[in-house]
Amino acid sequence: MIFDEPKFSPGGDRYITVEFGNEMNLELNFMAQGLAGALDEAGTKGLVETAPCFATLLVHYEPRQISYDDMVKELKSLSDSLGSSDEIEMDSRLFTFETLYLDPWTRECIDDYREKLNPDKEYDPDFVARLNGLEDRHQLVRVHSGTEYWVASLGFWPGLPFLQPLDPRAMITCPKYNPPRTWTPQGTVAMGGSASAIYPVATPGGYQLFGRTPVPVWDTTKRFDVFHGEIVLFRPGDRIKFQPVSREVYDDAERKIEDGSYIYNIIEYQKFSVHNYKQWIAKLDTSERF
Amino acid sequence: MLEIIKPGLETSIQDFPGRIGYWNQGFPPSGPMDSWSFRLANILVGNDAGAAGLEAQFMGPTIKFQSGVVIAVTGANMAPKLDGEEIPMWESVAVTAGQTLVMGPALKGARGYFAVAGGIDAPEWLGSASTFHKASVGGLDGNAIQAGQVLPVKAGAGEAGRRVKEACRPHFATDKKWQIEAVAGPNDDWIDEAGHAQFLATEWKLEARSDRTGYRLDGPDWTFTEKATDKPPENGEFPSNIVDQGYPMGGINLCGQKPIILVNDGPSMGGFIVPYTVPSAAFWKLGQIKPNEFLCFSRVGVGEAQALRIELDDMCGENSIES
Repeated sequence: MIFDEPKFSPGGDRYITVEFGNEMNLELNFMAQGLAGALDEAGTKGLVETAPCFATLLVHYEPRQISYDDMVKELKSLSDSLGSSDEIEMDSRLFTFETLYLDPWTRECIDDYREKLNPDKEYDPDFVARLNGLEDRHQLVRVHSGTEYWVASLGFWPGLPFLQPLDPRAMITCPKYNPPRTWTPQGTVAMGGSASAIYPVATPGGYQLFGRTPVPVWDTTKRFDVFHGEIVLFRPGDRIKFQPVSREVYDDAERKIEDGSYIYNIIEYQKFSVHNYKQWIAKLDTSERF
Repeated sequence: MLEIIKPGLETSIQDFPGRIGYWNQGFPPSGPMDSWSFRLANILVGNDAGAAGLEAQFMGPTIKFQSGVVIAVTGANMAPKLDGEEIPMWESVAVTAGQTLVMGPALKGARGYFAVAGGIDAPEWLGSASTFHKASVGGLDGNAIQAGQVLPVKAGAGEAGRRVKEACRPHFATDKKWQIEAVAGPNDDWIDEAGHAQFLATEWKLEARSDRTGYRLDGPDWTFTEKATDKPPENGEFPSNIVDQGYPMGGINLCGQKPIILVNDGPSMGGFIVPYTVPSAAFWKLGQIKPNEFLCFSRVGVGEAQALRIELDDMCGENSIES
């Protein structure tokens, strides 16, 4: 549910959790990101940083400059002044990533998991397709690549984006691995619950795997200008599109990444309007699949 | 220049307060776990309290000085010796080129700190030199220091013979039991009364599988309120599962039934509740607890936790020094 009033709770001496609801709903993330943006703009005294998540906003503040009670007052008044999330408009970059779905590397990873940890594990794309009533793994690719994804938050590993599909017709869900995997290839495209993700580097993990992108979303070597001097590519409020490509296109992109000539496909002029978005999804028949 | 002869068990470059402002990208602050000892080491050698120094875990490094500098060693007692002669801790010491400092195993406490006048000259990664080696970020090359490395030092003029007043030093538990403050929240209403009472009454044992990302505590199972069982399915299947949320640093994260305190290199978000949070003023104690020692939590309010933080900050300055 979406709470009538956000709930404020302390996290020790320097954090406040603002809870907008208790479900996985884009609306709640819009509210969290809207409040984060409003706080930045207001230049609230004592504010150190914010971190939006699916249904919550974590606020980090400096108690020497502002008390807990005063910070909660500030947050309440800002949150009230924001009104309905319909009024939220924010800059949103759109990234398009060449993606090889049903690739050999995640297949190898799944096979390794089956051999070492769980021989009964069904091949992830078939498993996710079956659970969601899709025809086969190829329809899974069509559905998964048929929408833009919203960067709701970053975490678990620095730079790992938690993504929600913006098109409700592409909403699919699946459980996480149990037990988790000990490794996952860098650039793996995967999902767990209703969230998709890209693994920035090779790490353990629990999401179901079904594709891989060669495009770095993490770079400590500062090879690509699009990182603007940072190490991670994304910010909350960015959007991502996975473009299914052939092995040839994938290999070509990988070669260009290696020699530094790769050009990131980014659109930077758009604002995301929650109002327009809601108007659009209201018109959709969400029982349709691609 | 500091030549690393032996790195110790896990010695890393840290600065204070660390990598702040990147939580929404998933970067933890890192920085010294016992920032009380760390800051005073810097103050002793005339640095800003936050300048880059070394944190040594359980077993200290052996360092050969390529030039004369002023140093200070604080934190866990690693019985520091200069060319075989014991040197005092909590006091600035002048060393000459060619001398070697040996910091041994931690006899009392867990983490030793080393500061050098001027500070270690390490590049800043996102505004901080602090090492977050899990992601190969910070320090000289993203990792803990290695034998054979040479750490450059910024120019600085320290003065020998400055001491931290006895009353201004942290006092470590002598009976292996540490009293740790905890503030209820953000998800305290998921735990029932019996669960809260039990949390506060238990002596939680620190498990060996604990590091700068998380402190795993061994103790009894938790009990929950209806909030933990009566919730939308996307919260997850366990009572302690919640829709992924941002974690406060110091959060006592209930992973299934296992409480894990999220410390300096911990994750920024995840899908488990955080019924209590260890406030910043108690972090130095976390930095000095050894595995198999015990944590006893006492509940404090937000205001009290903030007053403790301010008191500690004020102690990490020139007022605490005598010559």
